[in-house]
Amino acid sequence: MISFEDVSYSYSPGRYAIEHINLSIDKGEVVAILGENGAGKTTLIKHINGLLKPQSGSVIVSGMNTKETTVATLARHVGLVFQNPDHQLFAETVEKEIMFALTNFNFPEDEISRRVNWALKEFGLLEYKDRPPFLLSGGERKRLALASVLCYDPQIVILDEPTTGQDYRQKLHLASLIKKLNSESKTVVVVTHDIEFAADFIPRSIIMSKGRIIADGDSEELLTNRELLMSASLIPPQLVELSWDLALNPPTIHFDELVSSVKKLLEGREA
Amino acid sequence: MKAFGFDYRRGTSIIHILDPRCKFIYTILFTALTVYFVNPLVLLLVFLSSVPMVAVAGVGKSWLRSIRGSLFFIAFIFIFNLIGIFWTTGSVADALIMSISMSLRFMALISIFSVFFLTTSPEDLTQSMVQLKIPYDYALTFNMAMRFVPTLSREAQIIMDAQRSRGLELEKGNIFQRVRNYIPVLIPLIISSFRRAELVADAMESRAFGAAKRRTSLYVLTMGRRDFLFILFSVAAFLAFLSLKVLFGIQ
Repeated sequence: MISFEDVSYSYSPGRYAIEHINLSIDKGEVVAILGENGAGKTTLIKHINGLLKPQSGSVIVSGMNTKETTVATLARHVGLVFQNPDHQLFAETVEKEIMFALTNFNFPEDEISRRVNWALKEFGLLEYKDRPPFLLSGGERKRLALASVLCYDPQIVILDEPTTGQDYRQKLHLASLIKKLNSESKTVVVVTHDIEFAADFIPRSIIMSKGRIIADGDSEELLTNRELLMSASLIPPQLVELSWDLALNPPTIHFDELVSSVKKLLEGREA
Repeated sequence: MKAFGFDYRRGTSIIHILDPRCKFIYTILFTALTVYFVNPLVLLLVFLSSVPMVAVAGVGKSWLRSIRGSLFFIAFIFIFNLIGIFWTTGSVADALIMSISMSLRFMALISIFSVFFLTTSPEDLTQSMVQLKIPYDYALTFNMAMRFVPTLSREAQIIMDAQRSRGLELEKGNIFQRVRNYIPVLIPLIISSFRRAELVADAMESRAFGAAKRRTSLYVLTMGRRDFLFILFSVAAFLAFLSLKVLFGIQ
């Protein structure tokens, strides 16, 4: 569904933002892209909807070569939600904000109003529908940004740092949204610093450092690898730290597993 | 906006260490020349006279970027003058000469101002404004306006990316439609600028901006011999250009 073949890109000569990226993501997968600041995460995802075209190598999305396809065409298939909602909200009302992408993609009128209503309800924005987006709170603006992209039902959903500035309840909401998208066999890519979020909710992780992918695989395997996390300047999830401290073998990112291991440990001591 | 010659980098060349005030005098005098003359050869000469300074300062790359960045405007000025003057005078030769002059004038202005901004640190510029008795508040406002130009252009790029990701096609439609296409870019840009201005104001006030009635400076700019020499050269060159008018009637 998404495949990168030896993709490199640099903003200024001599310094690659991403270098020799090989990557393939299948339809229906949920993937986290993790890495320190400047690792190249945002540059990578901008290649998926064609905002950036590979300077070498190629990116194929749903059978389309991004070099030969316009952003508008790709955007119909790839919904990219940017980190800062203030970089996209502009309309007079919340309702019109959601309509923007739908009119750009020439949806028929009745379809537009159906989808706007769905998005307003889904993201808890119904009561604000006639308010200017700028008067919403930070969390609400973030939700509106999500709504304004997910409303047109893209097959691939890319979320850039969706958890920043969100409290735990919102994160849970986001997690259940991702689960729901996944159950509709959508492909979801989440770019995040929030390693706890990735550990809790996302089965596959891609770890980037200095423009390269240094690991790609099962989240549990990757996020319990001390050397790997160190070299990517990532703080291990708290459960993993605890597993290490308790010398659990194998360490885990799952709360239930940790609990049962600890129980076993305690029983062993009593016996 | 790197394209417009605002990317000052620290340098040690003679042009960099000149007092901003004398570079400012040069800028004013040569700007006056570009406005006064219409002869394309003279304007070309004014333009070329800034090139050695660019070379000495070693800012060729950024300078080229400024010129290249303004090519679009230059083309615009050229074409509109060509059509407009041909329309009113009916003479192709007049129209051609006049539009070449206008384009060269614009290029000379870009070049002269690039030299100034590429070799003058914003701090020195503020300080020299203060020493010219411009109130510090205004000098600082000017400095910050310059400071935020690159930030703003980076932000504009992000906003464009975000809106294109929602299916906005900036290049679609006729000229009026195209202008309208930019509304979803401009509004977030303006609003976030206001938000940032408020943040900056809060940050400044929390660091006691404006608490002291009288500011003192740790560094004071002083003019040395080379500064006066530079002013002398600038004035001499200025008069030499003016003599073209007085002696040969070229304007």
